[in-house]
Amino acid sequence: MTPPLVTTSVQEEDTTEMPKWGMAVDLDACTGCGACVTACHAENNISTVGAEQAARGRAKHWIRVERYWEGSFPDVRLRFQPVMCQQCDSAPCEPVCPTYASHHTEDGLNAQVYNRCIGTRYCANACPYNTRFFDFFNPAWDKPLHLQLNPDVSLREVGVMEKCTFCVQRIRAGTIAAKADARELKDGDITTACVQTCPAHALVFGDLSDPDSRVSQMARAARGTALLGDLGTQPNVTYLQRQTP
Amino acid sequence: MRIVTVALCVLAAGGAGIGCQPSPRALPARPDSARLPGQTDDVFTTARPSLAVAVNDFLVRRPVPVQPIEFPHDVHAGRRIACDEYCHEGVSTQAVAGLPSLRTCMICHNTIATDRPRIQSMTAMRAAGRDLAWQRVFDYPPSSHVRFNHAPHIRTGIECSTCHGDIAGQTVARRNVALTMGFCVTCHDQQQASVDCQSCHY
Repeated sequence: MTPPLVTTSVQEEDTTEMPKWGMAVDLDACTGCGACVTACHAENNISTVGAEQAARGRAKHWIRVERYWEGSFPDVRLRFQPVMCQQCDSAPCEPVCPTYASHHTEDGLNAQVYNRCIGTRYCANACPYNTRFFDFFNPAWDKPLHLQLNPDVSLREVGVMEKCTFCVQRIRAGTIAAKADARELKDGDITTACVQTCPAHALVFGDLSDPDSRVSQMARAARGTALLGDLGTQPNVTYLQRQTP
Repeated sequence: MRIVTVALCVLAAGGAGIGCQPSPRALPARPDSARLPGQTDDVFTTARPSLAVAVNDFLVRRPVPVQPIEFPHDVHAGRRIACDEYCHEGVSTQAVAGLPSLRTCMICHNTIATDRPRIQSMTAMRAAGRDLAWQRVFDYPPSSHVRFNHAPHIRTGIECSTCHGDIAGQTVARRNVALTMGFCVTCHDQQQASVDCQSCHY
């Protein structure tokens, strides 16, 4: 029996409810500008692999903007749909991981632990959204570009899987800051890089366990749908379908 | 040559992480003026330059940090200067503990112990516009993927010595507590803090 490292009683009963992080995407508002993709790369130290490797399907984009052409010439329309990890409640990537690197956290995030990952890539094969990416190479930045790397996010080495984390570094920092001020987290305290950057406010991030949060209201909207919802993955990202024809 | 490259990549994927990079990009050679002071290499990468470095990383064998001056922690702690009072500022409000600049030293040493040769050498350094290049003693290796935040630990009343050992009794700070994951998790369990992987690893 080891003696306790800390003798003072520091932990008070935590009465606050665990948040459940979610996102909503208003497809009516998305203009497909790609600012979210750029912001995500900058925030999360996502490396590029070069054109040759990207052509082999080894590019990494934790969020991407999918393009859909509809109609036939000359009456064609271009639709956009940003796709990131859907942070599924019933995630297909989790049960297939032999090392529990891919697992569910208490606050509803689908986490990827790089230390545990041995690179079997089962999770990427199981994911129906193609939002998991394997590091085929050690990341490299031409100096002095390495000075813009975010110190709050790990650099993933070769051989591990990586994916959208809902900017977990911002969630942790926001939670700690709220605790320091002895206040509850309020809607809008924590925002992900893509949401912060979206010029059309098409992306909204927040706590789904709070019924009054903006993301909860959007998730309840009549035109809210889940991406590939019939697969039963129970995503925490809601897409608001287009009203315009 | 190709076989060697493949073998290296396999080794790297196995956790060693040695020199496996995307195929070299055809970039124009950069002039020396584009380099930062002290920069010798044009590419920053997590790849280990050699097998020896990879093995040392794997076994957590790290060189003892060499400090610019032999700072006596015991003398300053004996004068009842709290760790975060001047030198390691920000530790109670931010993620990372600050390291003092020469200017901070000189707040006191403009007037205190000015007859000592070490203080005189610091005064000379300041006059020459130089600063102290402190080496971190207690950081985590990048491959551990640990994001440690001091502030919440300090706020809950954990003493510096719990994790850093008896620095107040040392001259130059040495890593005398093994900050392993078991060490962290034991305390987190006792304090009923979260032991979810993603509380610290992200």
